[in-house]
Amino acid sequence: MVAQRVDHKWGMVVDLDRCTGCQACVVACQAENNIPINTKDYFQQRRAYEWIRIERYWEGQFPNVKAKFIPILCQHCENAPCEPVCPVFATYHNDEGMNVQIYNRCVGTRYCSVNCPYTVRFFNYWEPVWPERLRNQLNPDVTVRSRGIMEKCSFCVQRLRRGEVNVERRGLEPLTGERIPTADRKLNYRQMKEGNYLPSCVQACPTNALQFADQHDETGPVKEHFDEANEQIETREHGGHVDESHTRVYRLFEEIGTKPNVVYLKKVEPFPVEKA
Amino acid sequence: MQEGTPLQSRQINAELLRTILNSPKWFWIAISILGLIVLFAMAAAGIMINKGMGVTGLNRPVMWGFFITNFVFWIGISHAGVMLSAILRLSKAEWRRPATRAAEILTVFSLMTAMMMPLIHTGRPWRLVYWIYTLPFVPYDYARGIWPNVRSPLVWDPSAVYTYLTSSILFVIIALVPDFAVLRDRTTGMSNRIYGMLAMGWQGNPRQWKLQIIAGVLLSALILPVFVSVHSIVSWDFGMAVSVKSWHSTIFAPYFVVGAVHSGVSAVAFVLIILRYIYGWQNYIRHEHIDALGRLLIVVATGWFYFLVMEIIFGIYGREADEIAVRSLQFTVNPWAIWMLIFVVITYFLPVAIWLSKTGRRNLWIMSFACISVNIGMWLERFLIIVPGLARKQLLTFDWYTYRPSAIEWILVGGTFAMVSMLMLFIARVVPLIPLYDIKEAEILRTSIKIGRVSVPATFRED
Amino acid sequence: MAASEIHGHGQHAGMWVFPDATVISQDISAKTRSMPKPFTIALAVTGILFILGVVGFVARAADSGFDEIAPWGYYMAMFSMVFMVTSAAPLAAVAFRFTKSHWRRPLSRVSELFSIIGILNVAMFIPLMLVLPSLDNPAGVVEGQLELRRTIWIEGPIGAPLAWDFLGVLFLALTSMAILWVSAMPDMAESRDTATGFRGWVYRRLSSNWYGTKRQWNAQKAGLALLGAFYFMIMIFVHFEISSDYAQSLIPGWKDSIFPVIYSVTSIQMALGAILITMFIMRRWGGYEGYYGKAPFWSASKVLLGVTLLWIYHLFAFFITFWYGRMEVEQNIIKYLITDTYAIVFLVNLVFTFVAPFVILIWNPVRRSAWGPSLAGLLALIGGLAFNIRIFVGSANAAPGAKLYDSFMEHVPAPVYPDVWDVFMVIGGISAAIFIYLAASKLLPLLSLWEVKEGTMYQKWGKLFRGEYLILAKPE
Repeated sequence: MVAQRVDHKWGMVVDLDRCTGCQACVVACQAENNIPINTKDYFQQRRAYEWIRIERYWEGQFPNVKAKFIPILCQHCENAPCEPVCPVFATYHNDEGMNVQIYNRCVGTRYCSVNCPYTVRFFNYWEPVWPERLRNQLNPDVTVRSRGIMEKCSFCVQRLRRGEVNVERRGLEPLTGERIPTADRKLNYRQMKEGNYLPSCVQACPTNALQFADQHDETGPVKEHFDEANEQIETREHGGHVDESHTRVYRLFEEIGTKPNVVYLKKVEPFPVEKA
Repeated sequence: MQEGTPLQSRQINAELLRTILNSPKWFWIAISILGLIVLFAMAAAGIMINKGMGVTGLNRPVMWGFFITNFVFWIGISHAGVMLSAILRLSKAEWRRPATRAAEILTVFSLMTAMMMPLIHTGRPWRLVYWIYTLPFVPYDYARGIWPNVRSPLVWDPSAVYTYLTSSILFVIIALVPDFAVLRDRTTGMSNRIYGMLAMGWQGNPRQWKLQIIAGVLLSALILPVFVSVHSIVSWDFGMAVSVKSWHSTIFAPYFVVGAVHSGVSAVAFVLIILRYIYGWQNYIRHEHIDALGRLLIVVATGWFYFLVMEIIFGIYGREADEIAVRSLQFTVNPWAIWMLIFVVITYFLPVAIWLSKTGRRNLWIMSFACISVNIGMWLERFLIIVPGLARKQLLTFDWYTYRPSAIEWILVGGTFAMVSMLMLFIARVVPLIPLYDIKEAEILRTSIKIGRVSVPATFRED
Repeated sequence: MAASEIHGHGQHAGMWVFPDATVISQDISAKTRSMPKPFTIALAVTGILFILGVVGFVARAADSGFDEIAPWGYYMAMFSMVFMVTSAAPLAAVAFRFTKSHWRRPLSRVSELFSIIGILNVAMFIPLMLVLPSLDNPAGVVEGQLELRRTIWIEGPIGAPLAWDFLGVLFLALTSMAILWVSAMPDMAESRDTATGFRGWVYRRLSSNWYGTKRQWNAQKAGLALLGAFYFMIMIFVHFEISSDYAQSLIPGWKDSIFPVIYSVTSIQMALGAILITMFIMRRWGGYEGYYGKAPFWSASKVLLGVTLLWIYHLFAFFITFWYGRMEVEQNIIKYLITDTYAIVFLVNLVFTFVAPFVILIWNPVRRSAWGPSLAGLLALIGGLAFNIRIFVGSANAAPGAKLYDSFMEHVPAPVYPDVWDVFMVIGGISAAIFIYLAASKLLPLLSLWEVKEGTMYQKWGKLFRGEYLILAKPE
């Protein structure tokens, strides 16, 4: 018996107050998703692949300077600007609220990247190569992309699929292999933190700055934030005013109307830098 | 308005057909030089396809660069053909006659060249095969029911451009039929047979002329919407991009169309001057024609300048930080600011100052200089729209970058210019670049009216 | 009928051919002097409606004062309606004089005479200066609001926007009247000795130096060309000012670079329509049939068709950019101006400005007639009124009070319907324009005599093979 498939709507919450800029997520992503090795040249040519990247901004005047970090990954927008512009449907929206890239269809017009406000789409300028000793390190669940196509964060869709098969269909605990009662056969993130269906960046984050779950999951860690973010959108649509000093929730570039499935929580500043 | 002496049909035939199937020494030298450049560019394209797009200077924020600029530029040049043939034919401007054929053929070649640009610019151009051939056993795309995404401007774009290309070719051929017949009657052997086929049994009887004229007028009227749509849609490749602030402007469509006409008509004027020089067609491409083109260009250029000013003013008007970032890169940061200054001067102020003086319009050297300067300027315009917009896309300043074209890109851009020149030279060898029958018609219709002691040139009008 | 058309040339029957010069002058001057009954009635009716408009204006001023812009939406629409027609009308004469089109000759004075209404434009603009909200946000810096609302006068030149707008409207009126003066000078000089009364006085004052020497003719033509070029630039600039200051910048977040262009295109279309209607009326009932002929209708209809197509093209360029962009403010503006709030007005605008004129004008037989292009012109005027109501009433009511300084229009307001004073003002303002034009047509004849006479020299019939065709000369 295969259990009824649960309708998910995935979402991520990035708590900037917890982010230390340690780049663990970047490394985890690199390892998980068969991302080619970023050489010095790649960085200097601004062609480095970082499906998730930590942007570092300086605030204040010397000597009173603070570094601020913001992890930026594909926002999996509901109204994704990258989707309508692709001539070959290589990028589209799946029914779980994720923006997915189909490598086989991609011809590499790079229009999606041009139209991405977050600049999180990466083009394979060269054929990716790995040193011989790293060949066995490649993740068999993830396609190795060739040159000439776009790639981007997939919310580690391969892990989700595996988790789905394990939990929802086969009813097995992913790590221990125990059977799950039929009623509980759905992905539950608060309990399953150590499971293998969190995106690798979330799993790797040492400070829990990144949290990932189903947006509708009552027990999940992200629901309250998404509810608040959606409420903000509602309020704005009905002509109301959102007092941004009383909430930490925001979405990147809200005015473009992309409705991202990634929500940011503002950094709390106990000692703000004085503006010059 | 008419200068020069009346011409006899015999003389027109002799002089305009002089170039056909006749190749002087300079022809082969020119062809081989241009051919070498084209071969060089093909090699560059080969390297690029073989190694990947990494050989270009493109990077993450600036994913479009020289190729797209060049694409828009050549599409722009292609707008001269219809502008001169269709619009001036419908408005019965007499001075269009010697310019039409060259303009139409330039349209066809520049469209072909332009469409190569987005093709080699894609990451995997070989996938075009899957697009074109809908074979049932090819397990890709169309055969599997995956049709192009009609919401994408990149699908609108080839649709419009290929419609335009098809109709331009038709337009050229319909205008060529009477001239093919003339050629058929003056050649022997293989070429006679080929021209005979192309002339499609043209005998020059009244019914055929009537049909030819109706077809020409109908096509002129039908091609006009295509003409407008092509560059509008090219502009919407940019205008639809909500994420690039300086591109998302409602004025882009007419702005690009007027700009295209500006550069296209300048290019045609330049081509005409070259033709006049190398083939000695002083009797046909006269100063009055270049003069008229110059006056038309004043209007077009001023219209274009108005759109440019509107685009910039309403860019700043919003006072949104991300837009201001782009604009301040364009206007205040070197080298962009210098390029911007050069662009505005050589595209508008310098040429218009030249065209405003009759001496300037009638001196072919000065006129060529103005036309070239406009075209360099219009190339720069597209570049200055595309690259700064991408380099300062949004307020994530961490991702801002710039763009340096690589040698391969330079070679390929140069190669397109060589290719269009080479194709024009080749075509001049097989078809007359000035329509024979059109010139003869003008000779028949020209007359004069005496007013007092002055004789004013006049034409017969049919309505 | 002093002039008659030569028939018997088949399709060329519409070409105008005139008898000798003195007959034209006498006939036209008699027509200008006469006051037929329908004309007097029209003058009286428009005069009364004009007074009604003044009543409406006074009532509105007493009612709502000049502090808020919202109640003045319909007044703005009416001003813009009159302004659009009268500012672009002289352009027809100017532009086709540039292109040396012969068919413009009978049409040019009809179009230039619209410049007299410039006085009305200036007068009607003064109240609008009072109601325009200030650029600075009176509340200072509030979160979500701008300190300085969006405007084309970024760190504006001194006096922006009011002084510049007023100067623009004033200069436009003055330049257009200067064009009228320079262009009408030979005609006025011709009859300054025979004209009597006020007309005679005006003619003598305004054309006292004209003797028709070669030098004067050259100066006149050069003057017309220079003034024409200057006028064109001022017109584009003033359209840009009015359409941005009184429409675009009043809707927070509406950033639409094509709007001034749409405004100018609509304006040219309406002006052409008004010219064609005037010509049609004068041709049908005013005895000008022999002078106007069909050539100007036939040729102007091509231009009208072109402008009509340009209108829809620019509108579509605006629409698709906003539609595809899908930013919240863009969706709101589309809802406000096109699909929701003013949907019916937009539909009227679309049908009358584009669909109906287009359907009429693509028919060659209809275009060859006089009534076809004129009907299209009339429809374009109705459509233009809808355009102005949609844009200006919409702008005036988009962001009441402090909301004007918001960064974006965050919700879609409800439509505003006219009250009785608004109706009075709209009808009155338009009637005032017609009244002034009618009065002016008694001052100056509706035919540019020197241009028409010049035109007769440049054309003749000639035999070519077996047919007889018109020969047109194009002087350098």
